[in-house]
Amino acid sequence: MRALHHAWRRIFAEERDAYVLGLLRLAISSLLFCHGMRLLLEFQRGGYFGNYFHIPMLSERWLPSESGYRLLLGLQVLASLLAFIGVWPREALLTASGLGLYFLTCDRLQYHNNRYALLLLGFLLAFTPCDRSFLLARGRRRTLPLEQRLAPTFARRLFQIQVSLIYLGSTGGKLLDADWRSGQVLFLRLAKAPEYCALHGFLLPASVVALFGWAWFASIAAKVAIASELFIALGAWLPRTRRLALWLGVQFHFGIELTSDVELFSWLMATSYLAFVVPEVRERKVEFVSSNARARFFARLVTSCDWCARFECAPMPSADGHRATFYVTNRQGERASGLRGFVQLAEALPLLFPFWLPLALYAKWTAKPRALAPSSA
Amino acid sequence: MPRSLLNLSPRLRPLFCCAYLAAQLVLLLRAQASPDFVFGFQMFNASSELKLSLYREFRHRGRSRVVPIPEGVWETKDQSGVLHTYRWQDRVRYRPLLALERYVHAAYGLDAQLFRLQLALRDFAQHLAFDEETEAVIAEVDTRRNGREPGHVRLREARR
Repeated sequence: MRALHHAWRRIFAEERDAYVLGLLRLAISSLLFCHGMRLLLEFQRGGYFGNYFHIPMLSERWLPSESGYRLLLGLQVLASLLAFIGVWPREALLTASGLGLYFLTCDRLQYHNNRYALLLLGFLLAFTPCDRSFLLARGRRRTLPLEQRLAPTFARRLFQIQVSLIYLGSTGGKLLDADWRSGQVLFLRLAKAPEYCALHGFLLPASVVALFGWAWFASIAAKVAIASELFIALGAWLPRTRRLALWLGVQFHFGIELTSDVELFSWLMATSYLAFVVPEVRERKVEFVSSNARARFFARLVTSCDWCARFECAPMPSADGHRATFYVTNRQGERASGLRGFVQLAEALPLLFPFWLPLALYAKWTAKPRALAPSSA
Repeated sequence: MPRSLLNLSPRLRPLFCCAYLAAQLVLLLRAQASPDFVFGFQMFNASSELKLSLYREFRHRGRSRVVPIPEGVWETKDQSGVLHTYRWQDRVRYRPLLALERYVHAAYGLDAQLFRLQLALRDFAQHLAFDEETEAVIAEVDTRRNGREPGHVRLREARR
């Protein structure tokens, strides 16, 4: 009973730092903006959907008129822009995503899973305290102090559940489809990948094209894809497997982006992983020798790439007798320099995260017993 | 602390969560029974293909005749002798059903596209103003489900 009460409180009453949610708002609102602009362009080029064959999921009388649709499209784009710059950001997110969901029900032909996923995630994000940081319209005061950033983040849990549901829904569909399970679907898709890549201006190496032509490769790839999605959906919830699950997700979507046209889906899912980031900030440390110009540049680089505010950058006096020009200390207090330091950076900086696992494996492979430096803490 | 109407009270939070998750579950389950898996997160398209050929049916000297509609276009005169042109592509702008007489990818699977095609035929048949001749439009569809043996489906929609 006590455990249940604890879990209940943890979900509905926990207050965490909302800093990263602000970054998530920036990303989702920019994707909503792109989505809105796409609809606007389709409207400009193709005209009002109601004038042609369409499949409404609502009664026809609930559909907007042509001028009303134009107005609502403009409102959607404006709302996503307001959410991006941080003017009534949550209300704007709700408006943009709500309108998008309404448009989907107006015409079933406009439905795409990636659009639906984006709109649902935008809707849920509006219920999180994503209005405490990255408020670009406020200029230098764009981030509120810590005490004001602490807020109930129950909707973040819902957001995470939604991300998992997307993967589980996708996995379920594949598992129920015998052609998918056997690799037949993927085999035909992979056969078209060279043509798709050539259309987008790059050629796949001949060895890769040959690999794509083998049925057994497609069969294995199908099973790996199903297992990967299942692992991403469930593994992201466990602290021990979270990093690996998210890394796998990034690679998975990179592969999809290369071989298929999925609109904004890959960007959306990679962005949604920010909801799984530990909310607390500055729990890691980068120390650098302040008298060394390269180390100072390195520290500036880390600061500019540290979008989730993972690191506290601290200068070290040069006379301290340090062997390295920089040290990285992770959340567990492990202090490292050189390649292991880079690995610790890669696990926390979004731009380096895709390289984290290969770097970590290489570092482990080449590790020497004295690679770890004594902690200064 | 920023104020927002979207800051739900502690009492409302569990209600909101339950309502949202229940709605998602219902939509996910309903999607499995839907031909185009709408709201079902079936992310990857199947690799099926279809080839669509259009025909129209009309009465001539008391007998029913079926003629092909090349390129999706035909012309006919109304009672006052004014010539009218009818074009499938003028009414159906949905890309997977636009191409005629050649195989195209069946986005979201064959069942999804056949379901949408039936509705497209109905819509097209209802928008043939001044055509006093055509009684029905017919789609002959050659299918290839995930690269397997080809199949054939005939869809017909009478004018009302």
